[in-house]
Amino acid sequence: MSGQTAIRIEHLGKRFGAGPLVLDDVNLSVEAGEFVCLLGASGCGKSTLLNLIAGLDRPTTGAIDVPAEGAAVMFQESALMPWLTARQNVELALRLRGVARSARRAEALELLDTVNLADAAEKRPHELSGGMRQRVALARALAQDRPVLLMDEPFAALDAITRDLLHEELERVWRRTGRTIVFVTHNVREAARLGQRVVLLSSRPGRVAGEWRIAETSGRRIESPEVAALSIEITEQLRKEIRRNAA
Amino acid sequence: MPHDTDGQLLVEPVETDSPVETGSPFEADSPAGNNSTDSVSTSSTSKADDLRSLEAGLDRLQTDPEHAPGAWQRFTTSVLPPILFVIALVAAWQLYVVIAQPRPDIVPGPVDVFNAMALGWESGRLQTAVITSLERGVVGFLIAVVVGTPLGLLLAEVKPLRRAVGPIISGLQVLPSVAWVPAAILWFGLTDATVYFVVLMGATPSIVNGLIAGVEQVPPQLRRVGTVLGAGRTRLATLVVLPAALPGYVAGLKQGWAFSWRSLMAAEIIAVGGTIGFGLGSMLQQSRELADIGGVLATVLVILFIGVLIELVFFAPLERRMLRRRGLLQGGTR
Repeated sequence: MSGQTAIRIEHLGKRFGAGPLVLDDVNLSVEAGEFVCLLGASGCGKSTLLNLIAGLDRPTTGAIDVPAEGAAVMFQESALMPWLTARQNVELALRLRGVARSARRAEALELLDTVNLADAAEKRPHELSGGMRQRVALARALAQDRPVLLMDEPFAALDAITRDLLHEELERVWRRTGRTIVFVTHNVREAARLGQRVVLLSSRPGRVAGEWRIAETSGRRIESPEVAALSIEITEQLRKEIRRNAA
Repeated sequence: MPHDTDGQLLVEPVETDSPVETGSPFEADSPAGNNSTDSVSTSSTSKADDLRSLEAGLDRLQTDPEHAPGAWQRFTTSVLPPILFVIALVAAWQLYVVIAQPRPDIVPGPVDVFNAMALGWESGRLQTAVITSLERGVVGFLIAVVVGTPLGLLLAEVKPLRRAVGPIISGLQVLPSVAWVPAAILWFGLTDATVYFVVLMGATPSIVNGLIAGVEQVPPQLRRVGTVLGAGRTRLATLVVLPAALPGYVAGLKQGWAFSWRSLMAAEIIAVGGTIGFGLGSMLQQSRELADIGGVLATVLVILFIGVLIELVFFAPLERRMLRRRGLLQGGTR
């Protein structure tokens, strides 16, 4: 990789009001163009961390460096505007980015074509399946044209077949656009399938509890033996972290 | 196996599969691809096509084509039933009059009521009353919209203000607007201002409450997305919150119209004379004074008919179209 750092997180801590510590001394740096999966059980503060990186929330302690252009975010629910068509939803992102009116339509259609949805451009969200909605959301996130793409369990609510396809789609888009992606998930296999690096967070408070780098990322499938092998290893570590909460 | 927190492990894949066996779904000319050496350009293009057709197939499986109901179907399901019901009702009424033979000055038959209506039409009183009332109702309603909309927006977006004023607005909605008639007569005398004031007090709370409810029901996720997409306070309100709140607002408008029409009738029945013109409420009151039950019932039917007509012609299509577009109509797909 280029070796340039896109996101640098140092000694990050977060608590909400007087509540318990949600994130404790998290250190992480993500290179430009890297695909990092943040993995953890419930209550590990994955989403909190993502919100902090997105600038939707402020850290209690520590520092976060993100590119000045900011980050695009994709959520578990597609959160498309129900009164707009797929194309208009993408156009809304372009409009808020400041793209001229005349250029919006063509660019939106091009982005929808990137996620293989050119035919569904004039459909409204309720006419689309869950997987299609998430692809529109992906196109909308790409429309923001930010170097960093943050994804908060974007495929968690989808069926296995659709999720599998969207993994391929996302990987293709990532390779084509060179975006830096931080992908939050609680699905070990998904993390092992997608990431160049998997970062395991412990729960309550969230800390970095383990890190795996995957040297060879092309040609992976969810059923590939190397993905399975890595999943077993990560799961073992994850369970160890979860067990610690039993005491 | 990583045991301490900073443990890093280099995981080598068990074997590097050739793209023919496992399939490389990526394009070879990817700028970010750090290992596209093993994929041949032709096979990766076909893989991309493969993914494309796979996705297209799945998309087709997971969506149903939406069929809008045809004109005949719409007629038989939504227009015909109420018409049949009204016909049955009138038939039952006529049957009762024929069989029980009640005093016609207390229970007139449908024919008597129709004759009273025709009489009013011939003398021109009915047309005058309908036009006067309709004009007042519509103008009063529009004034209420102009007053209620900014007020509702203000209350919806400024929380402390809503906490202070909200309960009073809700209270006003419970207060029958007839209660304002005596005060309005004392303030404005027997003028049109009295009528408009009563209509305004009747309709505005509904519109304000509808808008507040609509804004409150905007999913927080949509606001977050708006923020993430880079919308400031103003553009968030105009591009996200307002369109998202539209169903609640339209429901409020619909209720506001109903309250306008009711308040107007109440005001017209009570406030007669002065410069107040001759509306449907005045006609109702006049028929009562003449002990003309046929005229009273005819006027009631006209008032009802106009209320239903405005609802059917104006609000129902507006609401149906909006809900269908958002997939909120029953029978819509997913």
